[in-house]
Amino acid sequence: MQASELLNSYYVDSHTWDEMYKDASVRDQYKGVVEFLQQLSIGELNHKEELAKRLFMSQGITFTVYSSGEGIEKIFPFDIIPRIITPAEWHFIEQGIKQRLKALNLFLKDVYNEQFIIKDGIVPVEMIYSCPHYLREMYRFPVPHDIYVHIAGIDLIRNNDGSFYILEDNLRTPSGVSYMLENREITKRIFPDLLPKNAVRTVMEYPNILHRNLVSLSPRQIANPTIVLLTPGIYNSAYFEHTTLARLMGVELVEGRDLVVDNHRVYMKTTSGLQQVDVIYRRVDDEFLDPLVFNPSSMLGVGGIMSAYRKGNVAIVNALGNGVADDKAIYTYVPAMIRYYLNEEPILQNVPTYHLDNPEEKEYVFGNMHNMVVKKTNGSGGYGMLMGHTASEKEMAEYKSEILKDPRQYIAQPIISLSSAPCYMNGRLQPRRVDLRPYALSGPDGIQIVPGGLTRVALREGSLVVNSSQGGGSKDTWVLAG
Amino acid sequence: MLSRVADSLYWMSRYMERTDGILRVLKINYASSQDEMHAFSWKPVLRIFTYLEEEKAQAIANHSRAVLQHMVTDKENPNSVVNIVTHARENARSVQDHITKEVWQCLNDYYHTVRNEELAEWFDKEDPVSVLDILIKQCMLYYGTLDITMARGEGYCFLNIGKFLERAIQSADILDVKFSDLDYDPAKTDTMYWKYLLLSISGYELYLKTYQGGFEARNVVEEIVLNVNFPRSILYSINNVHRYFERLNTERKNSGFEKVDFMIGRIKSRVKYSTVDSILDQGLHTYLSSIREELQQVAVAINQHYFAYT
Repeated sequence: MQASELLNSYYVDSHTWDEMYKDASVRDQYKGVVEFLQQLSIGELNHKEELAKRLFMSQGITFTVYSSGEGIEKIFPFDIIPRIITPAEWHFIEQGIKQRLKALNLFLKDVYNEQFIIKDGIVPVEMIYSCPHYLREMYRFPVPHDIYVHIAGIDLIRNNDGSFYILEDNLRTPSGVSYMLENREITKRIFPDLLPKNAVRTVMEYPNILHRNLVSLSPRQIANPTIVLLTPGIYNSAYFEHTTLARLMGVELVEGRDLVVDNHRVYMKTTSGLQQVDVIYRRVDDEFLDPLVFNPSSMLGVGGIMSAYRKGNVAIVNALGNGVADDKAIYTYVPAMIRYYLNEEPILQNVPTYHLDNPEEKEYVFGNMHNMVVKKTNGSGGYGMLMGHTASEKEMAEYKSEILKDPRQYIAQPIISLSSAPCYMNGRLQPRRVDLRPYALSGPDGIQIVPGGLTRVALREGSLVVNSSQGGGSKDTWVLAG
Repeated sequence: MLSRVADSLYWMSRYMERTDGILRVLKINYASSQDEMHAFSWKPVLRIFTYLEEEKAQAIANHSRAVLQHMVTDKENPNSVVNIVTHARENARSVQDHITKEVWQCLNDYYHTVRNEELAEWFDKEDPVSVLDILIKQCMLYYGTLDITMARGEGYCFLNIGKFLERAIQSADILDVKFSDLDYDPAKTDTMYWKYLLLSISGYELYLKTYQGGFEARNVVEEIVLNVNFPRSILYSINNVHRYFERLNTERKNSGFEKVDFMIGRIKSRVKYSTVDSILDQGLHTYLSSIREELQQVAVAINQHYFAYT
């Protein structure tokens, strides 16, 4: 069977926006790739898929599953067919994310200082103080350049009319950017010449921009400030990402045990004594960062780091306490924030969201649960979610009683169908649901978004859950030059 | 350089050197086991490289394939090649930003190769030498990749200190055990014994060129302990430990530098100013034990002054 036949068997659900197909014809942005695929036989495509797997394995882009006492190396599923974004779509996304981040950053500055937004009644005060990620330790602390969100990963999805919605803001320690970079490297290997032919914009600037931003945050005005990336260590599932970023930026990768605080300064322990650290890009959650201030049993953090931070002797990226802005209950107020702080209409829309601590909204959600997805406000990774269209009556009843225990911890959203994109599976192209996470970097010079991102795929047919912990995979994401 | 990173590089290097040493010894001893009329005993090898109890070692000492499986693919044996390579790779994994991508991929590939389930089967059913050759080649690939891609900085020094310390200890061990097997009485054996000993540490050809004639125990001792041109001799290895350690003597040197430097210098001089006669006079075993003891003290001191980070 030739690959052209394999394209003909592509079946698109009429209620879903498909990234490649429209009215049974290929969208312009996909024509180059489709033409290329049509020249390949199934054998060649299988070979390319095999090569991609081997490359991931050999580079150690793996995570370890522990079973029966020994570790088995697995790779995150990668689909070889790229997801393609047009210049116009990208422009829209870019503007929307910049606007949103500007407002979210202002919000963080506000809630940790004057709290105008509370006084003016835009966001209810109990929303802030009931959020477990609001840190009193950050109150009235002037962060460098007023930047809280240095690195953001904003999750976008598309409804059946093709319009983009914000699904989630990730403002704490968003992960996955190494997959944006590595997926592109794999595409270069498996599809020679295809990227330049299609005028795909590069994503390789990401580490350079991030490094420049980190340097600019150094409290000491010296030529070569010491920048470190703080990782929880080799057993963390994102460890590969930490090493990749440290390597690409040429900064030291440290663990908590490599650092020590003396006289409100942070030092790393080197073979020639202690060396002062200026900027910490931490991939350790707030809660584990300083056992003296937060979780006392944390072995991942550094005792006293919070005092060094508050003295202004070290910069920490992202700032602490950002969780109050990407909380799923606060999420509903983001459009209002944009209007309040920027006096602009939101470019990117929120998915309609119901608060379960509001009795009327709760009634509505409980009555329409089969059309809803219910999430925990501080959950991530797709854990603890209820998808109403697939849940049984029993599961729903159990979930309802959980909600009633602490309604503030839950929100509900109507199920958005998510757009589909072609995936190469079992020798055929098949549509699978995707989302998109672009990565935005804020520095003193403003917000920059590398043209690309991580496209996550729900690999099971019909599934709407793209999280890697729930069997999701990823794709290379192309933004075409205009 | 972070102390933790230096520590990991040092151990990665020691583990890889050990892997290479074990594989070469296994290959030659296997060949030897096929070449003898009476049953070949693996006991000396098992004594050098494993923690097996006397009876258990005795039980497999005459079964080449069982020994190979125990020493290469047995996950229960903490010093098997599969476990050592896993340790080396774990160390490499935690310092990926300090070794080149090529070195990391090389070790990662090695790890996947040695963990391949088929390997154990091949030992059983196919020619064991082919399997060992695959693994030895991976070691050479590792050495070559290090040499070509790694920057000659502090990390490179720690890699080499680890490598040559391990090698010096290994050569002392091999020599000691092989002689103790004869109760330190060279008259007890024939030339083949020496030939295989030298082959197992790649010193056979050099021996022939240096001494031309037949095999004599004192010449074997001289080559393995004192020959500065033999890359596996004790003196050559200690010279290199010293050479790479001296390079750490920079402006921002460690406060323990002088102390460790003294220890390395002392043992280097001791070996350098030994002769075969002086070694045999005090007894080979006594001599090698004290060398090994001092090398261990150097390792402890380096650990204390350079790697202690807790």
